[in-house]
Amino acid sequence: MPQLTDLTAAVAAGKRIDTVRITQELLAAGTGPQDIVERGLVPGMAIVGEQFKRNEIFVPEMLVAARAMKEALKLLEPLLASAGIRPKYTAIIGTVQGDLHDIGKNLISMMWRGANFAVIDLGTNVSPERYLAAAKEHNANLVGLSALLTTTMPAMKDTVRIIKAAGLTGTKIMIGGAPITQAFADEIGADGYAADAGTAVDIAKKLVGQAA
Amino acid sequence: MTSREKVRRALRHEAGPVPVDFGSTGVTSLHVSCVAALRRHYGLPEHPVKVCEPFQMLGELEEDLLAALGSDCAGLSGRGTMFGFANEGWREWRAPWGQVVLVPEGFRPREMPSGDVFLFPAGDPAAPASGHLPAGGYFFDAIVRQPPLDEARLDPTENCEEFQPLAPADLVHWAAELDRVRGSDRAVHASLGGTSFGDIALVPAPFLRQPRGIRDVGEWYISLVERRPYVHAVFARQCEVALENLAVFAALAGDTVDVLCVCGTDFGTQSSQFCSPETFDELFAPYYRRINDWVHRHTGWRTFKHSCGAVRPLIDRFINVGFDILNPVQCSAKDMDPGRLKADFGDRIVFWGGGVDTQHTLPFGTPTEVRAQVTDRLRAFSPGGGFVFNTIHNVQARTPVANIVAMVDAIRDFNGRAA
Repeated sequence: MPQLTDLTAAVAAGKRIDTVRITQELLAAGTGPQDIVERGLVPGMAIVGEQFKRNEIFVPEMLVAARAMKEALKLLEPLLASAGIRPKYTAIIGTVQGDLHDIGKNLISMMWRGANFAVIDLGTNVSPERYLAAAKEHNANLVGLSALLTTTMPAMKDTVRIIKAAGLTGTKIMIGGAPITQAFADEIGADGYAADAGTAVDIAKKLVGQAA
Repeated sequence: MTSREKVRRALRHEAGPVPVDFGSTGVTSLHVSCVAALRRHYGLPEHPVKVCEPFQMLGELEEDLLAALGSDCAGLSGRGTMFGFANEGWREWRAPWGQVVLVPEGFRPREMPSGDVFLFPAGDPAAPASGHLPAGGYFFDAIVRQPPLDEARLDPTENCEEFQPLAPADLVHWAAELDRVRGSDRAVHASLGGTSFGDIALVPAPFLRQPRGIRDVGEWYISLVERRPYVHAVFARQCEVALENLAVFAALAGDTVDVLCVCGTDFGTQSSQFCSPETFDELFAPYYRRINDWVHRHTGWRTFKHSCGAVRPLIDRFINVGFDILNPVQCSAKDMDPGRLKADFGDRIVFWGGGVDTQHTLPFGTPTEVRAQVTDRLRAFSPGGGFVFNTIHNVQARTPVANIVAMVDAIRDFNGRAA
């Protein structure tokens, strides 16, 4: 019978077919879906994040691993939902208004999902009002804003201002994207900034109060 | 010394005045709004500026503006655009930011009440839209039109539709373009097209009515590790067509051309690379080597590689596959310090770019900060030649004209002092 560590290794290596098979076998052997996520998939994606930070793997390998994780989650999510089990933290993510670039945003979304956040991806060209409405609707712990263009950085500032003005005390805001820096995050009052998809998980965990 | 001589000296890694490029390619130019602002600033006749590249909305730099900016390069580009229609039949269009510009006849936008603008491949509004300029935006982005992927039936020829021999109309166009620059004293930088292997901007094929094959950005990146035989088959076919086209073009162009823009594939992110060195060696290097070797064997042109981002770990590889020039030298990315780049690679590759940061300093700094950074970069990159001044990628919309002028003045002052 496969072990949770086998699942971790399969996800980290991006082996989609093995990941699905091991997930099915673990379920058949009576392992709970929550255990499979938290002790099998999440450690696998954590390895992916670490390897990415160390430049041992790159965007393609990260996408392949995330795809394997997603296939396993397709099996697990209905079981988790019927048992009333939800991830502890909820994150909203999107690319800001006027900006259609989503490679970075999609990577962060996958990595947050892999860290067992419930992730609501609003897509690209997201208005400040849509971020705010989604943050309220889902009682989000975290809102992630992405921008590639220098011309859309002001939209990031507007979004932060509107969310902060709404007084959502339990909601932290994190920003990222090629032209974004920690200095810009400080300037516009964002709670956090991440330079890449690996550190985005560490920062997100810190912001919502989990140990990184 | 003519502009062309300045550029040629720099390309031979010989000391001299620093040559400058504004506008010779789709990656070394300025947004159309900045072009209009510069014309106003320099007191040049004001008229609607041509959008010579409708994807990034780049403006044409006419002879008078090139002279005002001190540009030493002239650009040659193909007949078609990123949206598959030809760059001809100009008419006025009011852009969403209020500027009246000139667009080609095939630029037939669908303007939504929301302010969003859509463009269609080959100017055919019956085809699914392939470009989207969001409300409040300044640039188009490609709309991914990925047909359902069936792994068992994937056929690399479907990803090769865009790689075609030069058509008679292309040859007429190139002959006219070459005539336009013959006799110019500027260095000539040609963007023939068809030699960018796996350029992610081209993968969604906004120029094709109904793209087939792998057209989704994420799926393409996944293909670099999971579908290598497929990618090899695409690149091999692309390379075959490109070499045939290069031979035809070289026969037309001869020594009129100084530099060939070979490839715009981005290998760098802000802090890392888009693929491993091993992937580069296995998948990309063989094709780059064939193109560069052919150019060096048959012409006197230098080959130009554009790649944004933190590409330091790949620069030796770019050199080894035969690239002569690296652009845009994104010094704001990880491990891309100008002094270290110059010390480690400056005698083996020409830096064409790196002049000023278009992510931070140029759009958001003061003219004083721009001048200081430009002067620092000139000092770092210019010793011993091997440097052509250019902004790091295109000057973005909303960049203050005073900052662009501060940059131009700083270059002029530096070259004046050096002389």
